[in-house]
Amino acid sequence: MPNIPKQLNFLNRISYNTPKAHVRLDPSRYSGLKLVFQYENHNGQMGARKFWNQYLPTLKFYNPELQMDVLRIRNSNLRDATTPCYLEALDRDGKVIQTLQMKNKRSDTILDEFNQLFELEQIPNDQLIQLKRN
Amino acid sequence: MIGLIPSLRSQLLGSTSRCLFHTAALLRAEEAGSKLTKEQLRKREVRRAARRKVEAKKPAHTHPLYMPTPLALRYLRAVEVGYPASQQVITVTTSVVADRGNPPIAGNVSLPSPLKDVLVAVFSNDEQQLSMARDKFRCHLVGGSDIIAKIKQGEIPVDFDKAFATPDIAQELTSQVARILGPKQVLPMAKRGTVASDLEPLIKDSFGSIPFRQKGNSISLAVAKCEFSDRQVLENLLAVQTAFKEAVSNQKAKRPSILGRTTLTTTHGPGIVIDLV
Repeated sequence: MPNIPKQLNFLNRISYNTPKAHVRLDPSRYSGLKLVFQYENHNGQMGARKFWNQYLPTLKFYNPELQMDVLRIRNSNLRDATTPCYLEALDRDGKVIQTLQMKNKRSDTILDEFNQLFELEQIPNDQLIQLKRN
Repeated sequence: MIGLIPSLRSQLLGSTSRCLFHTAALLRAEEAGSKLTKEQLRKREVRRAARRKVEAKKPAHTHPLYMPTPLALRYLRAVEVGYPASQQVITVTTSVVADRGNPPIAGNVSLPSPLKDVLVAVFSNDEQQLSMARDKFRCHLVGGSDIIAKIKQGEIPVDFDKAFATPDIAQELTSQVARILGPKQVLPMAKRGTVASDLEPLIKDSFGSIPFRQKGNSISLAVAKCEFSDRQVLENLLAVQTAFKEAVSNQKAKRPSILGRTTLTTTHGPGIVIDLV
């Protein structure tokens, strides 16, 4: 038996409670996003993982036709700081048009920079989906 | 805090020599369990069964987690974003309310958009049947007694979804590898209709269809992947709905089981109630 308030909170976190990520990317310009970062947190890669966890579901929810790929690279060597950590936007032909470096940044900062860098529109409040208990 | 702990051991242990550090809930549960008579337990079971039946008959849209299937799929795809494609599997789970002694609901469903190829194993000592399975249907595993020995030794993994056998080898299968194939529901048995002297029609029907079976109080089945379009998922769900209903109608029971609430979920996602049955 699921805990219903908990479940509704979980779903609302995707569609309603992350206002900064309520954006729609221009579908004529972008075909997909590609995130590459480390599996482990060390060497400034925690923000990228948190961005994937906290904000990418919301971006996917409001941009369902956008292809989103995440590549997580295993690196257990704490001294090895060479693992790349970036977000790429692909155009309709699959070419990279914009790149956002995510290393040593918090998830909120990454989202702010994402919103500044990409061509997108804010979703009006009346189009947001909120789940309520009947 | 330390002052609250009784200083003497005799104070710690009550008259029933039970430690007072036991949590109250545990104690209550233990006492309640011991106090209930057989008659009370039976009545409680009856009450619970009646409640489950009422719950199962309620329409899906009355549940707080109900949503239309396309919206549910949107949420599930959002949750699964970034995980490997092989893990992004959409599963449908339907609760079953069965009377005591009812056989479990089981059947086959052929999905219009299958998730993967159905792997079929064919066991026989008849060379004609083996060559037919090998050449005509390109079955995953084909062989006779030698294959059985290898399965028993663990040299060949049990990674097939269905198995068929001819009567000449069925007895050997049951005696040698029943404990390996049985729990995975892939042991050929005459009772299940997977043993026949001519295997061609059986193999023909089995391609593209996957088996399902009630476990506990529910039937669970992988119906799609997140990369499937809404249309493909809905078509698969319709096929599942038809197969579930057919399985219930074919059930050999005095009072057939009732299909209750249906939940759509993914590997990492929440369960969302949909209207299926």
